[in-house]
Amino acid sequence: MSSEQIIFYFFAAMVLISALLVVSIHNLVRSIFLFFVTLFSLAALYVFAFADFVAITQVVIYVGGVLVLMLFAFMLSNKELLSKINPVKGIIRVNHIVAILVCTLFLFILLNVIIKADFESLSWIKTADQINGKDNTVHQIGIQTMTRYLLPFEVLSVLLLMALIGAAHLARKEKKV
Amino acid sequence: MPVSDIQIFLVLPVVVLPLISFLFIFAGKKLNTENLALFHISVSFLLSLYLFSAIWDKQTFHIQWSWFSVGGTEFKAGILLNNLSVLMMVLVSGIATLVHVYSRVYMKGDPNIHKYWAYLGLFCFSMLSLVISDSLLLIYLFWELVGFSSYLLIGFWYTRDSAARASKKAFIMNRIGDLGFLTGIMIIYQQFHTLDLTLLFAENGFMQTSFIQNAMWVSDTSGMPEIWLTIAGAVFFLGAMAKSAQFPLHTWLPDAMEGPTSVSSLIHAATMVAAGVFLIARIYPVFNPQVLNMMVITGTITAFMAATIALTQNDIKRILAYSTISQLGFMIMALGIGAYSESIFHLSTHAFFKCLLFLAAGAVIHEMHHHRDKLGLDFDFQDIRRMGGLRKRMPLACISMCIASAALIGLPLTSGFLSKDAMLIKTFEWASEQVGILKIVPYLMLLSSALTAFYISRLIFKVFFAKPDVISSPVISAAKDAPKQMTYVLLILAFLSTFLPFSLNPLSYEVSWLWSGFRSVESTQAGFYHQLIPVIVNAISMLLIILAYLMYVNGKYSRLASGEGLLFRVSSGEWYLNQFYSFTFVKSVEKLAELSWRIDRYVIDSIVLSTAAVVRNISDFSRWTDKNIVDGAVNGSGAMVSKAGSIFRMLQSGRLQHYLLSILLILLTFLILTFFI
Amino acid sequence: MIPLSHFLFISACLFCIGLYAVLTKRNAIQVLIGIEFMINAAVLNFVAFGRFDANGGGGQMFALFAIVLAAAGVAVALAIILNVYKHFKTIDPVKTDTLKD
Repeated sequence: MSSEQIIFYFFAAMVLISALLVVSIHNLVRSIFLFFVTLFSLAALYVFAFADFVAITQVVIYVGGVLVLMLFAFMLSNKELLSKINPVKGIIRVNHIVAILVCTLFLFILLNVIIKADFESLSWIKTADQINGKDNTVHQIGIQTMTRYLLPFEVLSVLLLMALIGAAHLARKEKKV
Repeated sequence: MPVSDIQIFLVLPVVVLPLISFLFIFAGKKLNTENLALFHISVSFLLSLYLFSAIWDKQTFHIQWSWFSVGGTEFKAGILLNNLSVLMMVLVSGIATLVHVYSRVYMKGDPNIHKYWAYLGLFCFSMLSLVISDSLLLIYLFWELVGFSSYLLIGFWYTRDSAARASKKAFIMNRIGDLGFLTGIMIIYQQFHTLDLTLLFAENGFMQTSFIQNAMWVSDTSGMPEIWLTIAGAVFFLGAMAKSAQFPLHTWLPDAMEGPTSVSSLIHAATMVAAGVFLIARIYPVFNPQVLNMMVITGTITAFMAATIALTQNDIKRILAYSTISQLGFMIMALGIGAYSESIFHLSTHAFFKCLLFLAAGAVIHEMHHHRDKLGLDFDFQDIRRMGGLRKRMPLACISMCIASAALIGLPLTSGFLSKDAMLIKTFEWASEQVGILKIVPYLMLLSSALTAFYISRLIFKVFFAKPDVISSPVISAAKDAPKQMTYVLLILAFLSTFLPFSLNPLSYEVSWLWSGFRSVESTQAGFYHQLIPVIVNAISMLLIILAYLMYVNGKYSRLASGEGLLFRVSSGEWYLNQFYSFTFVKSVEKLAELSWRIDRYVIDSIVLSTAAVVRNISDFSRWTDKNIVDGAVNGSGAMVSKAGSIFRMLQSGRLQHYLLSILLILLTFLILTFFI
Repeated sequence: MIPLSHFLFISACLFCIGLYAVLTKRNAIQVLIGIEFMINAAVLNFVAFGRFDANGGGGQMFALFAIVLAAAGVAVALAIILNVYKHFKTIDPVKTDTLKD
């Protein structure tokens, strides 16, 4: 097993374990920080798919933006949320069992589909020219953004503006009527 | 005159007008009721006079409508007018009209006067309908209605205890007879499957064509044992007995004198009591010889008994009541011997003179009552011992009453002479063909007739001729003749009590149109009795009248009149029949009631109580079971259901995540189906 | 060289974990985290397939777009959560089961 593979599976394990911890830990603050670990590991996985720019973006936007936002939102809301998670254990347990069953089943189906589809042997995958490690993807993305994906890019910027304004509007203090 | 449709519209008003008067008075204002009632009954009377002239001895009028049907049998209602009905119609409406006129004065000032007129209307309606009905069922219906309206009228002064009791007594006594009537109707219906009078009793009707064969009474439609014919006759006769106050069901009539005198006159002298006689006459073919003999015996006993009782009574109305019973006994007896036309003849003459007697007595009572209350004295104003010497004070009443009495006795030149002698002659003729005990009948009747002469002259002499009583002399001297309206009525009735309206020859009933109107077979037997009987009767009567004069006016033979002796007491005690009834029936019923009370108290109550105890124990047990077992089961299952419900509710709570879960489940199902099956 | 299917396996697992969080968590922020997991699983798939499109670069472009959109979504969602908290005094999705009025 090459070092590449070892690192990949290490990060993959990190992703899965931290994600499981995020959803299973009761302490909200801890789970948010574990979420950070997950996203960071995920960014590492992107690198293995030769998407270094995406990985950087992931780190910048998620870790730098989303996570901080979440922490702020969390801190702006009541502190009780820190401790209060499971008022009624029985119901939660039943719900959890059902949810776990459903998710496992879903996972099973997904894996089954992935195996059955056998993407490696698909013709377009075989004939496609793959990105190799020497290509500069940032260069490529820059060109694509300004040519082929210009319209979506502009629309996205407008959308971001709208989201910015909308979020600010929603989050502002309501005037007492 | 042919039967025309116009006559229907003449017949119906006769009957319906009094009913309209009744309804108007009850529904409308209580003003001018006397004029309203008088108007209706007079129109009714005039119409019946016209019908009488159109139908008497000329034709029979019969019209029918379908009434209702039960199963396959159709009942018909209709009007049947023949000699008998039109005669009764005129009699009833005529006397009713006169009584209406009389009552205007007599009942003046009574607080419930409008009720009086209404009841009179109802009574006239039912009586007239009874007379013209063509089916036994209808007759029964109106028979009951007559009984009911008479109940209302007897109890008119219902605040008086005795009046209330008398009305109840009359009602109950009549029920006994009604039961008989109803039974008779059932037997007739069973035998012939119809209740139509014409079909049943006309010439060659079902009754005549039915015959006795091998002890079976056979008709076209069915047959039954012979005994039922006798029973049918007997029960019909029972009905007539109650209505016509025959022994032993007569006791209600004297008590019914509690009603207003005018009512007594109308109902209990002239019309209602005649209904029994009328019924017998209507269904005459039903009666076989056994029943006819029964009638003779009953009639004779009644006539004799009532005459003896009347001898010693002191209440003026009671005397007249017993006199009525006695005369009704005469009529029933006459029917029993087959003297059909004589009986009806006597019925009509009697209606007039008895009505007159009552009304004249009413006038006397009215005066006595009036002046007694005015002078503030206290005595029984109906007691003949308190009267006397009224001849000079009330000459018109005296004259009319004397005429009526003469008619009752049967003195010549009166209507009673014709009818009574006719009956007696027939009785003797009939008895000459009989054997055994029935031979006595005519002599008993003769005796009764003689007693009649005595008691009615006693009444007359005591009231009008004797010296006034010490207590009541101020009243007597204040009395004067009744007001005009009443007096006119008395005079009209006095005229009707003479021979003139009935026969041109005052001495022979055989030329009377009324008598010949009912004669079925030409009577050829102008026999030996024909001359003898009237002479004997009148001779005895004259003797007794003189005796009565001596006794009650001149005061001789005072020991005889003083009320000593067994016979006197039996008579004044009204043969102790009321006491006998009270002892046998009332007492035994009371005993029975006490026995049943005891049974109830000790046997039934203990059974009930022990049952209750058992039930209570059972219910205790079941309560325990209920609480612990049934409730447990119910609550347990309820809890189970609610548990299951809350479990399911967790999945189907309507919450966001649960919705998502459901969506996923469906999606999963879809995917599984797609990929694995 | 990492096989494509391994990326896909990881993405599937991540997706299901996110799904589980969405289904069970009783805190809106944790639910939001679950959604982010699922978006990231999708992004991972884009990136993994994008390896085979060297000239077009479609996979990576879409991954970028998705990340940006997710960020925008998170911003709006957090604003909503704050509002919900103001209104209901809780951010438990179980309890916030009524619409306005």
